[in-house]
Amino acid sequence: MEEEVLRLEGVTRNYRLGKTIVRALRGIDLVVRKEEILGVMGPSGSGKSTLLHILGALDTPDSGRALIDGTDITTLPERELTRLRGTRIGFVFQTFNLVATLTAQMNVELPMIFQRVPRSARAARAQGLLDRVGLSDRAHHRPNELSGGERQRVAIARALANDPGIILADEPTGNLDSESGAVILDLLQELRQEDGKTVIIVTHDPEAAAIADRIVRLKDGRVIEEVANV
Amino acid sequence: MFKDFFLLSARGIMHRKLRSWLTVIGVFIGITAVVALISIGLGLERSITQQVENVFGYNSFLIVGKEAFQSRRGTTEEISVDLDVIEQVPGVTAVAAVRSESGFVKGPTVGGKSVQGFLPVTGLSPTLVTEFKSFLGDVNFEPGGRFFTPGERDVVILGSKAASQLHATLGTTVEIENHPFRVIGIFAPSHDSGGFSFGLGKSGNADTLFVPFAQMDELFGKSDKVLLTLVKTANGADVDEVADRVKNALRDAGDKDVTTVTYSDINRQISTVMGSVSGFLAGIAGISLLVGGVGVMNTMYTAVLERTREIGVMKAIGARRGQILMIFLIESGLMGLVGGIVGVIFGLGLSSVVAAVIRGYFNVEIHTVASPLLIISTLAFSFLLGAFAGWMPARRAAKLPVVDALRYE
Repeated sequence: MEEEVLRLEGVTRNYRLGKTIVRALRGIDLVVRKEEILGVMGPSGSGKSTLLHILGALDTPDSGRALIDGTDITTLPERELTRLRGTRIGFVFQTFNLVATLTAQMNVELPMIFQRVPRSARAARAQGLLDRVGLSDRAHHRPNELSGGERQRVAIARALANDPGIILADEPTGNLDSESGAVILDLLQELRQEDGKTVIIVTHDPEAAAIADRIVRLKDGRVIEEVANV
Repeated sequence: MFKDFFLLSARGIMHRKLRSWLTVIGVFIGITAVVALISIGLGLERSITQQVENVFGYNSFLIVGKEAFQSRRGTTEEISVDLDVIEQVPGVTAVAAVRSESGFVKGPTVGGKSVQGFLPVTGLSPTLVTEFKSFLGDVNFEPGGRFFTPGERDVVILGSKAASQLHATLGTTVEIENHPFRVIGIFAPSHDSGGFSFGLGKSGNADTLFVPFAQMDELFGKSDKVLLTLVKTANGADVDEVADRVKNALRDAGDKDVTTVTYSDINRQISTVMGSVSGFLAGIAGISLLVGGVGVMNTMYTAVLERTREIGVMKAIGARRGQILMIFLIESGLMGLVGGIVGVIFGLGLSSVVAAVIRGYFNVEIHTVASPLLIISTLAFSFLLGAFAGWMPARRAAKLPVVDALRYE
């Protein structure tokens, strides 16, 4: 049995939307192990995104415990949360979220800039990562000069910049055609196989869910089903 | 580290070219106004002090009536000064005095007739020409005219109007208080340029007869009353110190109603006046700068709103609050700085134009001042103005919860 990298215990999270209080998570227990690909599925409003935010230390639970690599993030000060995000977790978003003013390579370098990686080491690593996602020839293009699939590959390279153990992907294929989507999913699988990364994919896409070892279904802020993929 | 943030900020600015330029324009108008006004103000002050310096020199001072200087009524009040006392004071190398009386004057006989009447007669020390040349300003004689030499007696120089009234020409004899004087010079008529000089031959003195100072006693009786006295100090002597010594010596001798006016006294007065003028101008410029600052603040605020999501992404991939704050502060500071640079260039240009216009229309020599201190402090100020304007929205951006920022559409 591999060691666990993420653990949620009785996690609840409410937030205010106008005058109503949305109970996004109503007591989630979840364990994610190293080198696992976990798929999180469920209808809109089921709490998928909130769950991903907490797993990625973007948000903290109202009650319960959330451990990332054994560190409980519920009590962690903002500065430590930021450091955790910067070094242990890589995010891949549905809408890519690249910085429009920067070239592909600078986008990949950005997380390293925030971690104060020296310039030369940074450039070399960024080039290596772009090469790995097959975009070494697009390093100096800006996001608006890249196709959707290419943008998402840059985003994956960026997620890998500080060599985090965990990759969180929020609908990574949601804005892509099936061909580009397949490339992204291959990349994510490769990350687990070759680099030993833990990958969590929130998705509606059955293709994406297909690469998961295990799928967790959410509804109304609860886990309603947990199945292993064969 | 800083270099990376600088690059990030610069790219942010270049990305929104038009809006960034509009912001820069907002700053640059304010800075242009400030630089132009300060530069002209300083230039005006320098031009005035330079004129005073030209007239006065560093090593001379005036003795005038106490009231004259303080009430700024000019130096026409008669005072009682014993020149011998002044000459004895250590550090004094030359003294020149001007004394004016009204005298009975008779012109040369032309065709059996001569003109007679009362005209102003002014006694001038010959040292006025030898030692205080700058104080006289430009003296223009009709051809053949000259000033009297030290020790020369019974010679007179006529103002242009006096000469024509008396029908006197060069070499003829004019009687003053029944004493004959040979005309050795006639001042050419000239317009009053409003300079600082004593104004020999200027319109105000055109009807005056000028004689050697020493002969005034013979003509009008001995009197210590003079219009003004000029004192020249030895090279290297502290003018203010010598002035104090002269003042004390005169007081000891009983001349209590006098005061000295040195170069630095006049400078002080000019500085006081120019200080308030500059303050007023700076106030006006400050308002335009404030408007520019609000412009930067507005742009930064929109920029932050627009990029809320981007800020969320940056935080998600590990950017700390301080780092985000820094990126935005550099961005707004940079816009301020560019506005400052353009503003300094335009401001100096504008002040040169204004100086040229003043020179052309008012015939007043003005040199604009572009001191490195002014330029550097303006640039530093404009950077800080931009940074300050960006500080509030930047802080807001940095403090935004990541999840909210990511969700922002």
